[in-house]
Amino acid sequence: MKNYEFLEHTADIGIRLKAKGLNELFKNAAMAMFEIAAERKFEIRNSKFEKIIIKQKAENLEELFINWLNELLSLSSAKELIFTDFKINKLSETALEATAIGENIADYKVNTEIKAATYHELKIEKIDSEWQVQVIFDV
Amino acid sequence: MPEVAQGILEKIDDYRWRLPKTYKPGMRVPGIIYADEKLLKDIRHDKALEQVANVAFLPGIVNVSLAMPDIHWGYGFSIGGVAATDIEQGGVISPAGVGYDINCGVRMLKTNLQYEDIKGKIKDLVYALFSDIPSGVGSKGDIRVSQQEEKEILVKGAKWAVEKGYGVREDLECTEEYGAIAGADPDGVSERAYERGKAQSGTLGSGNHFLEVQVIDQLYDQELSDAFGLDLGQVMVMIHSGSRGFGYQICDDYTRSMVHCLKKYNINVPDRQLASAPVNSPEGKAYLGAMRCAANYAWANRQCLMHLTRKVFEKIFVCSWQKMGMELIYDVAHNIAKLEKYNIGGKEKNLCVHRKGATRAFGPNHPALPQKYKKTGQPVIIPGDMGRNSYLLVGTKKAEEETFGSTCHGAGRLKSRTEATRSINLNTLLKELEAKGITVKASGRGTIVEEAPQAYKDVNEVVDVVHNAGISKRVARMRPVGVIKG
Repeated sequence: MKNYEFLEHTADIGIRLKAKGLNELFKNAAMAMFEIAAERKFEIRNSKFEKIIIKQKAENLEELFINWLNELLSLSSAKELIFTDFKINKLSETALEATAIGENIADYKVNTEIKAATYHELKIEKIDSEWQVQVIFDV
Repeated sequence: MPEVAQGILEKIDDYRWRLPKTYKPGMRVPGIIYADEKLLKDIRHDKALEQVANVAFLPGIVNVSLAMPDIHWGYGFSIGGVAATDIEQGGVISPAGVGYDINCGVRMLKTNLQYEDIKGKIKDLVYALFSDIPSGVGSKGDIRVSQQEEKEILVKGAKWAVEKGYGVREDLECTEEYGAIAGADPDGVSERAYERGKAQSGTLGSGNHFLEVQVIDQLYDQELSDAFGLDLGQVMVMIHSGSRGFGYQICDDYTRSMVHCLKKYNINVPDRQLASAPVNSPEGKAYLGAMRCAANYAWANRQCLMHLTRKVFEKIFVCSWQKMGMELIYDVAHNIAKLEKYNIGGKEKNLCVHRKGATRAFGPNHPALPQKYKKTGQPVIIPGDMGRNSYLLVGTKKAEEETFGSTCHGAGRLKSRTEATRSINLNTLLKELEAKGITVKASGRGTIVEEAPQAYKDVNEVVDVVHNAGISKRVARMRPVGVIKG
């Protein structure tokens, strides 16, 4: 089920999403990004899963968030994988350790090439008990 | 979205508008927008003008933050933004002023065929181009290279391709920077970038990238048309592509490191995406060296794409490409930063010119031009959308004086991709294009809708502005007859 909404942007794609905690926010943003990028060609999963450990460091939460998404895009392109699930193992405002689970890109129909997640109009906020992020992708 | 800068823009003349420094505290220079009243109305509906103001914050920016008439909302810089910084005065370089697709650009080649010669074979031609030229997201080419050879591409650019037999020496003369910008430093390129780049040479890519077969439907200047050897009804080919995943990775790597330079060099910008560093700093130099690698990668890529195109024409028309007169007119970059010299207030200055969705447009006799274009000025290639027109222009002295030798780069988006997808019906669109005599093949059905003519401004209006403002001059107009989309 779609867990995000689109923001209007002339050339690129912006999304907004909410989550109960930061772990879930990072995970859901990554899920949304790959959901926009590609869809599975067949109902049944054909290929084996590939697990990749991702470690990122940054000076603040915004930077960590952008580095996380861009690292996933970069790995997806270099390793020819579409990531479909994520486990956030450790997360602070400046460091992240996660497992990304990917499938062979050949089993997917790629709809949109996302070049990068950008800082432009990036907002990560805690509103009451929920976290919310808006991010614009360069497509 | 509410209109931006309502009542604040000052009209200079029918084609120029000033965004005063007072618009936003922190702007070092005013903005100037090249547009007419009609285009300005569209421009006000997104955040592009806000971005023109943000770019004016960059340290060392000279005179003005410029916007071309095809300007639209981007990230960091607007698309259609031009800014030059003074290197000796601590001027900065920003990866956002180049973009992720480094040296995204266009090349145009002519043929001696007339529309009548190809009319019955357009479908065959389009299908063969589509099958022989790798396109689509993450598309991989048949041109596979080792990492050592990839390094050679990064330094030699299009020359590498010509040495491999993918083209001739004359092609290099008709490419900006002769197909290889000096100062590329392969050591500044990450392993990941090499990994992403190794399989993508000679691939078109996706999104707004395309290959089009076009026919000249209007000529504007007899002398210039003769100089380029152009005639009404003549068949032309236009190729729009860039540095693919290799360039994205360079931009990502250096944006990551330059975000920290904002604090280190005390650079105050309203958008972190405008991450930058002084051109003369270690970080600035490293980015420049790596960016040039991606620029050369893109020139090699477009050279390979042209080679594949010539081969397809040979197959379909059973004739050598030389006999069909398939000569390159020119290849321009429209996402790049260049070190160029300009006369500023009577002094020659070394500037770093960012062209983010803008085309270099040098006038006649500029030293960077090859002998054959000294008299005409630099050819400027402006692709439009798939249903309307594209243009060949030439650069002018006035552009060198006013816009750091720059002009527009295309039609410019009007509707977002989501809005286009929501409001445009694929089958209706394909019927409309077919009725106009345009055959389209695309990897993704979604791409056709996202790239529909309705999603773009009318390129004719954009070109009217740059022509009337004198920053380039119209030579020829083309209409598409065959379109390959990624």
